[in-house]
Amino acid sequence: MSALLHATDLQKTYVTGEARVTALAGVSLTLEPGDFVALMGPSGCGKSTLLHLCGGMDRPTLGEIVFEGKPLASLGDDQLTRVRRDRIGFVFQFFNLLPTLTLGDNIALPCLLGGMRPADAEARAAQLAGRVGIGHRLQHYPQQVSGGEMQRAAIARALVHQPGLLVADEPTGNLDSENGARVLALLTELNSELGITILLATHSSEVARAAQRVLRMRDGKFDDVVAAV
Amino acid sequence: MSWRLFKQFILRPLLKERARTITTTIGIALGVGVVIAIQLTNASSVRGFETALSTVAGKAGIEIVGTGGINESLLPELGWLREFGAASAVIEGEMAIVEGTAVRPAQRVEALKVLGVDILRDLTLREYVVGAAATSGAQPEGLGGDTLTPQRFLELLTSPQSVVITEKLARRRGYSLGDEIRLMAGDRVNTYVIRGLLKDEGPARVMDGSFVLMDIAAAQLAFDRLGRVDRIDVVLAGASDNAAIDAAVEGIGARLPDGLTAQRPGRRGQQVERMLAAFHLNLTALSWVSLVVGLFLVYNTVTISVIARRDEIGTLRALGVTRGQVLALFLGEAAALGLAGTIVGIGLGRLLADVAVDLTSRTVSTLYIATAAVPPALTPGLIALAFAIGIPLSLVAAWLPSREASLVSPTAAMRGHDRLESRVHLRPRALLLPLAVLILAGGLATLPPINGQPLFGYASSFVTIIGASLLVPAIIYGLARVMRGPLRRMLGVEGLLAHANLSAAIPRLSISVAALAVSLSMMVAVAVMIGSFRDTVVYWVGQTLQADLFIGPGMRPTAGSEQTLSATVIDAVRAHPDVAAVDSFRNIDLVYNNNLVVLGAGNFDIVLSHGSLLFKEPADGREALRRAIGTESVVVSEVFANKYDTKPGDTLMLQTPAGPRPFAVVAVYYDYAVDRGVIVMDRATFVRYFGELAPSGVAAYLKPGAEPEQVRSEILAGLDEGHRAFIYTNRALRAEVLRIFDSTFAITYALEIIAVVVAMLGVGATLLTLVIERRRELSMLRLIGAARRQVQRVVVIEAALIGAASQAIGLVVGLVLSVLLVYVINVQSFGWTIQFRIPVAFLAQVSIAVVIATALAGIYPARQAARLVLTQDE
Repeated sequence: MSALLHATDLQKTYVTGEARVTALAGVSLTLEPGDFVALMGPSGCGKSTLLHLCGGMDRPTLGEIVFEGKPLASLGDDQLTRVRRDRIGFVFQFFNLLPTLTLGDNIALPCLLGGMRPADAEARAAQLAGRVGIGHRLQHYPQQVSGGEMQRAAIARALVHQPGLLVADEPTGNLDSENGARVLALLTELNSELGITILLATHSSEVARAAQRVLRMRDGKFDDVVAAV
Repeated sequence: MSWRLFKQFILRPLLKERARTITTTIGIALGVGVVIAIQLTNASSVRGFETALSTVAGKAGIEIVGTGGINESLLPELGWLREFGAASAVIEGEMAIVEGTAVRPAQRVEALKVLGVDILRDLTLREYVVGAAATSGAQPEGLGGDTLTPQRFLELLTSPQSVVITEKLARRRGYSLGDEIRLMAGDRVNTYVIRGLLKDEGPARVMDGSFVLMDIAAAQLAFDRLGRVDRIDVVLAGASDNAAIDAAVEGIGARLPDGLTAQRPGRRGQQVERMLAAFHLNLTALSWVSLVVGLFLVYNTVTISVIARRDEIGTLRALGVTRGQVLALFLGEAAALGLAGTIVGIGLGRLLADVAVDLTSRTVSTLYIATAAVPPALTPGLIALAFAIGIPLSLVAAWLPSREASLVSPTAAMRGHDRLESRVHLRPRALLLPLAVLILAGGLATLPPINGQPLFGYASSFVTIIGASLLVPAIIYGLARVMRGPLRRMLGVEGLLAHANLSAAIPRLSISVAALAVSLSMMVAVAVMIGSFRDTVVYWVGQTLQADLFIGPGMRPTAGSEQTLSATVIDAVRAHPDVAAVDSFRNIDLVYNNNLVVLGAGNFDIVLSHGSLLFKEPADGREALRRAIGTESVVVSEVFANKYDTKPGDTLMLQTPAGPRPFAVVAVYYDYAVDRGVIVMDRATFVRYFGELAPSGVAAYLKPGAEPEQVRSEILAGLDEGHRAFIYTNRALRAEVLRIFDSTFAITYALEIIAVVVAMLGVGATLLTLVIERRRELSMLRLIGAARRQVQRVVVIEAALIGAASQAIGLVVGLVLSVLLVYVINVQSFGWTIQFRIPVAFLAQVSIAVVIATALAGIYPARQAARLVLTQDE
């Protein structure tokens, strides 16, 4: 089976004024379909940058990313947007739901942006919401539900368009331990039952333990590779 | 707070974000500029007149005037005036230089102020410095500014064809001593010889040197005022302080025969000022709209700066900067913008004044007074006014966002928690205040005018605008609720997102929507008012302009400058075989209740047989008119009736040359030509009291089958080179009336357009605020797959929705304001009955234009939104 994502020797340097900050200093990574990979490391080690690059949000200074057989560097802005919209799902620490849309609309949004018929998008959103346990909250606004429910809605949104890769940046970082555990269980379940590939950044070794592989980072590089139990 | 912090935290970003800073500065500058421009424009007409008045008045402290002038035969009886000082009778009027030999009267090239005096007497009152002179048959001699002996001066003006002009005028038009100059007064063109050139002193300074001096007898001849003088100027011997002048006015007044009045020369200026007051007040009120709208921009800009630097504010607060210091920082930003806007606005105001004077001078000179169309210089007072409105009002506009900044808590800002704006809920209680304000507005509309000015009417409009602005959040909330489904269906996911974004930003949005809605409502109100007025005038013109030809002198009359038709022209009209009847009319200025009104004389029998007046009351106006023929009766215009609370059956005391005389008011008729009020009496009555005065114009009724255009050409062709008249056919006069009407309101539209442009800038700025405020959500959208174009479309749809909501509110509020304009402000300041009409097609066009324009205003913020970086590091 060919790799879902193959990143080779990624480097990323930010230039602000006269200062140059190297966020990634030559990182290579391969994700196979069905992988659940956790990135760990101290703040500023480059894990979020690596997530952004793998998620097609940003472009590397040097190096190459091939996603589902397509080199991302060769894609224009519109094509890259299409890749994000159709093939990648995102989950963030602060949920990043649009506060002005109901949870239902939030979940359906990627499908609607992709041009799906509203009725179909809503049906799919409802189904996924039920799957993540917030089916009764579809008409609520983000600020009317708990943090755990918001994050579950964010996960549903990330999956509604059936992406090949789920990118999650500290998905439990803003949740209490109970809600954090539930979200983690949900991610594990999605990975094991639906075979969804997950690339996740976290500070928490508990979260990391749920992954099949844990990649430790320091100063923009991988420290070592530890296979999860 | 240190200057250093202000520089780093406020000034540096202002310089860096040039688009925002420049837009706001332009907004304030336009607001301040328009106010200054209108002040200058208003001053130009009044001050132009007053300057001319005082320049020509010279040392004269008192003038003696009478209705329709002073009969020359009275002069010998006034010898006692010597006890008070020196007196000089004058003829003052306007002539035009006529160049070329074309028959068309439009060939007048420059209007001149003409003073006819007995030079021997007048030299004690006015200072004439002759630079060069040439008596008939003698060689020109340069005088280098030395005084000319009275004897020599007299020699200059002995012939009725002699005139002295100014060096300035000679230079401007290339005249030399001894040259001939053709001047038109009324319909008469005469050739004069230039005998002297005046230096730029005394009366020669009037109207930038457009001044002609001639002998009083020559002037009487030229203006067809034989046997009359316009006034007698008196310079007091001895003390000339205020008390002495007041005492002399009283002393002289007591001894004057009936019909003559002693007054200060400035009195005429005050009358003109009062005459123009309503017109000026309207312009001033309109000019403030742009300023108010400009202030919304300040609010927006400071809001943007607060939102964009919320984290920095939090950091500053965490580091020990107090709430008061944060408040001062952002108020300082508003003050800096206000200062820049005011400085630019003062310069802009001076430039706009040129345009505004251009736009209004035609109105002022057509309807009111002849005046030089040059805006006066900026005075320190006006500059102070600019600063007094620009900076404090900017601070007021910035108060709310600055306060918001001062309330940012150090921890919340650092954590980014207070960004999440919850959805807006409307409490029914929130409707109480706006409704109370609107009820107050309704109450104010019922109050009577103060000193003839509809101050409560303006207050009611202002309070209506405030009430409507307070209601805006509720209206948007309601619109948001009903529009969700339709927008989603019509505009897809972008419609859904735009709706969601706007719904969440209602408090922020309300200010911009209110600003745009206010300026649009003013535009709608003015459009409805002007449209209704125009329709009414068209109807009135159709009903009342019945004559086939209207003949007037080549020089048009204005208040203070009467122009008449000569017998030659009237005879030519009468003599034409196709002319069935001729109605001559004569207008003079009459002082009534200290105001200038128009006293007209017409042949009532011809009006009854051929013409038509629209009577307001009594029902049978024609019968009343018949009874007024030859009797001490008058009909008055609706404006007069409203202004002076007059109705049929009342008696008016009118100042005639023989003193005050009673006249019965028999009818009130509709008139839209003169806003200072008209009293009309039958010609026979007029002649009995005011003497046989040459007519100001005549109306000719043709025999059936006659071709007006042909008759017009034939009459004009029959006139000799010495006579110039305007002859309008009925159709041409109707067109001319509407042309004058439209030019009157050109300034109104210009002011409105500026206000709308400023409001559009405001919409652009608001969207930019929203984009900055929602940058996290917008980049979130991009992350989950929204294409740049989709994000841009969302913002442009938001802009168009803001435009549509503003226009919808503007239409409703505008209609309410138009009712106030037509039924309160107009009635109280002008007194016209206007048939209320809604120009549906025009309003539909404006509405579409507004939505398109606001959508365009959204393009820049849309681009900014699409450019946001995608990473979510915050």
